[in-house]
Amino acid sequence: MTLQILDPTHEGAVGGFALASRLSALKGATVGIISNGKKNTIPFFDAFEDELKSHYGVAEVVRRIKSNYSAPADPHIVEEAENWDAVVAGIGD
Amino acid sequence: MTLSSKSYEVDDIMAAQEFYHSRQWTDGLPVVPPTADAVLACLDWAMMPADHLVGIEPVRERPVTAEKLAINAVMAGCLPMHFPVVVAAFTAMLQEPFLLHGATASTGGCAVLTVINGPIREELGMSSSFNVLGSSDRATTVIGRALRLILGNLLDVRPGEIDRSTLGHPGKLSYCIAEDEDESPWSSLAEDRGIPREASAVTVLAAGAPRQLMNEWTTKPEEILDTFCAEIKANMRHYSIYPGNYVIVVPPQLRAHFKDAGWSRKDIQQYVFENARIHRREWAEVGKANVVGKRGDQEYPALPDPEHLLIVAAGGPAGGFGAVIPPWLGHKSKAVTMAIGACLDCEPPAA
Repeated sequence: MTLQILDPTHEGAVGGFALASRLSALKGATVGIISNGKKNTIPFFDAFEDELKSHYGVAEVVRRIKSNYSAPADPHIVEEAENWDAVVAGIGD
Repeated sequence: MTLSSKSYEVDDIMAAQEFYHSRQWTDGLPVVPPTADAVLACLDWAMMPADHLVGIEPVRERPVTAEKLAINAVMAGCLPMHFPVVVAAFTAMLQEPFLLHGATASTGGCAVLTVINGPIREELGMSSSFNVLGSSDRATTVIGRALRLILGNLLDVRPGEIDRSTLGHPGKLSYCIAEDEDESPWSSLAEDRGIPREASAVTVLAAGAPRQLMNEWTTKPEEILDTFCAEIKANMRHYSIYPGNYVIVVPPQLRAHFKDAGWSRKDIQQYVFENARIHRREWAEVGKANVVGKRGDQEYPALPDPEHLLIVAAGGPAGGFGAVIPPWLGHKSKAVTMAIGACLDCEPPAA
């Protein structure tokens, strides 16, 4: 005798997120880095910022740090990010 | 009532095991096949429609329905009468102070400690005695397991996916206990947190593994608590210095000394608040001198205030043991207590 059993997963019932449109180039762009704020992220993102500017021609890098590294970015940072061309979710440990 | 989840046909119960294991839908242990009848029985018992929206996961905005919780509860081994506890516990986990995404994604590897209070403990045959932190009875074991399966299957909290735990701990399989209210000299944990004694309730906490201690060579409350404080301070030195919700589990042998001395919950909370403290410079003694910095003389309390100590009466009758259960990481995630919403006096629906 066969069994009929049910799917225990969310079956794709996910929230309404969509990726932002991709940039064709970074040259002249304003790029934000939202860091989780852990200590060792500072030198890492210093180097990353230098690379973005020197190698990819990024015009400006805006650095922001979340108030709680285990929680989503603070609303004021998300609001500010709307003015940037690209955002890097800066998770480091 | 109709269910909306996708249905699969398998040959038999063993095929069902392989079906779920192969899709990473289990914790590695066998599961009870969630048939429609079994799932509907859970929903009927809790008097919830299948599409009842229990909540929305706050970071990724993922809706969680009663039907999906019931499917996972059945898989974990829950009977219908266990299901309202699962719903209440998961609802508590969805509250903002719990910080569900952070707690379940963190490299810190905490598990969800669930403490049950109120009459439902006896209705479900929960035990607060022997082996209480190591699967003491059916109800607490399957309820704790259901919460873990729910995290995996509904929020993708699986190892290497959302769950980024470096180590984790065995409580991730199931970490649910009931408080020994009948043999306790104190009000219950839930009462202490605003729930009437007549109601049943769950308290959830993102928590590390239990740290066992022993002191059966004194009857003085201060000296017993000094041992608890030493264990808390060891956690602050070795793991995380930041204050948060610490749990102490106090078995009967040690409880008797507090009772004889007339110590209340508040007395214990105040003593631990005043004495479980370290200075940042102590990090240098355990290999962490590099992060002491210029704040070596700064004092860190284990508790932001006395009420952050959660005292749980539980454990077997003999032995001067106790346990400290530390928070995941300071106060980032806070303990949440919630009444169990199902009607406790209602009869289950007729078949």
